[in-house]
Amino acid sequence: MEPAIEIRNVTFKYRRAEKPSLININLTVYRGEFIGIIGPTGAGKTTLCLTMVGIVPNILKGDFTGEVVTAGMKTTEHEVSEISQKVGMTMQDPESQLLMPDVEREIAFGPENLGLPRDEIRRRIDYALKVVGLEEFRSRHPFLMSGGQKQKVAVASSLAMLPEIMILDEPTSELDPIGTEEVFKTVRKLKAEGKTIVMVEHKTELLSVFSDRIIVMNEGRIIESGPTRKILSDVELLKKIGVDPPQATQIAYLLKKRGINLDKFPLTVDEAVEIFSEIVKGE
Amino acid sequence: MEEIIRVEGLWHVYPGGVEALRGVDLTIKQGEFIAIIGQNGSGKTTLVKHFNGLLKPTRGKVYVYGIDTTKASTYELSRKVGYVFQNPDHQIYSDSVYDEVAFGPRNLGFPEDEIKEIVKHVLEELELSEYVETPPFMLGKGLRQRLAVASILAMKPEVLVVDEPTTGQDWKECVKLVEFMDRLNKEGHTIIMVTHNMKLVSMFAKRVIVMKDGRILLDGPTEEVMYNIETLREAYIKPPDVVLIDYRLRNLLDGKPSLRVEDLAEKIYQACKR
Repeated sequence: MEPAIEIRNVTFKYRRAEKPSLININLTVYRGEFIGIIGPTGAGKTTLCLTMVGIVPNILKGDFTGEVVTAGMKTTEHEVSEISQKVGMTMQDPESQLLMPDVEREIAFGPENLGLPRDEIRRRIDYALKVVGLEEFRSRHPFLMSGGQKQKVAVASSLAMLPEIMILDEPTSELDPIGTEEVFKTVRKLKAEGKTIVMVEHKTELLSVFSDRIIVMNEGRIIESGPTRKILSDVELLKKIGVDPPQATQIAYLLKKRGINLDKFPLTVDEAVEIFSEIVKGE
Repeated sequence: MEEIIRVEGLWHVYPGGVEALRGVDLTIKQGEFIAIIGQNGSGKTTLVKHFNGLLKPTRGKVYVYGIDTTKASTYELSRKVGYVFQNPDHQIYSDSVYDEVAFGPRNLGFPEDEIKEIVKHVLEELELSEYVETPPFMLGKGLRQRLAVASILAMKPEVLVVDEPTTGQDWKECVKLVEFMDRLNKEGHTIIMVTHNMKLVSMFAKRVIVMKDGRILLDGPTEEVMYNIETLREAYIKPPDVVLIDYRLRNLLDGKPSLRVEDLAEKIYQACKR
């Protein structure tokens, strides 16, 4: 497998911060993978994302050691603008990233900066709006949109750059449940097109369905990583660091503690229905 | 119980013509814990902004403690109804956490030593004491959100409206914040929470109002609303997994529909023992 992002021995402390935000991080993200990053507030998840696109340490400076290579570019040797042509990043707070007076121009902003021809830009706007389901809102002012709609605009702007790698920092924090599911389905489509996805997300129920691998962060370190099933079944680890495990898994965990014999912990609703109906029927 | 908010035929049209509310009728009684849910853009925030006069009806009436909100100032109404914005940065202005929390009570003319007590108490309750001297902009979004709640609580409003308390917070912080609101509710405060987090809604709210396209689609006890899975789908809402699992196992289990994982685990345990 070909690596999309390689992080080697990275430690980073923001200027004027007392403690480092990242401590000895080693991580390889492979092409076409969907990686979920979980962990409590302050664990370093956002800083890790910023490191992947070179915003840390090129724009947000501090004490940086180690090496990050993203889409073949060593981040300390390339401009963020250059890296962003291959890597799309959606930030946690969409408002900080929306600048233009209407949705269409917001989405066009990136492609225009690349100097693309007009009809290509138009095609990309249509594509991005269709993917996030905002076709009817193309001339709306972002300030007149709800938090969740703004979040979709931010994702669309990133999509219009047709990046190889997409980094999404809590892209669904302000979305309604079905909107959230749509974003995950969109991301799955992008993965099917061969894109690499890195997503910070608290919603373990959804990661359980969509992600290949999960990284658990706490206090600046990666404390665990592995296949989605292995990580999300570890109810005690997740509870300890303040992440809510999938509800199906929590129910199984409670049953097991009371002496009910379960060979396998369910993660999803479908799995739970199957496993729990078997044990109730005594099969 | 005393009726504290009454909404009659409420329409709200924003400049530019967006019809955010299209005929809402609603009454809220003292001591309720209500969740308002619905799709992005369904009118939830617009609705709750009428409860303390931040917005006035385009058509229809809103009464807060019997007062027509068009005839009262926001200042007067916000003593009764505290509103915590969705984005905490829309309400944070001061240079220190202390001043931010003291701002409201100062405006209401509380004596300075009482303010000191209030600030101390509120910061302790929300686990913000260690940041008392910190400039708010140095805090992470989750902490700023909690600060926003603290500064509203300092005014001791009888009704607390919190618009999406979960943004930028991790699960532990979310639960802490809503548990705090739950304690206030048990002390008699009325709580109105706008959120997309269906796990929190199921765990804490007693009544759920579902908005769709500027109207109320469903309004009832949490259990009833959460198990109305088909209608919720129309409003872009999906109940938490615990509800979906219980619903599909309903023919195998006894007892009332569960809203928390502990309840469903207990029901499955009992069924296994049969």
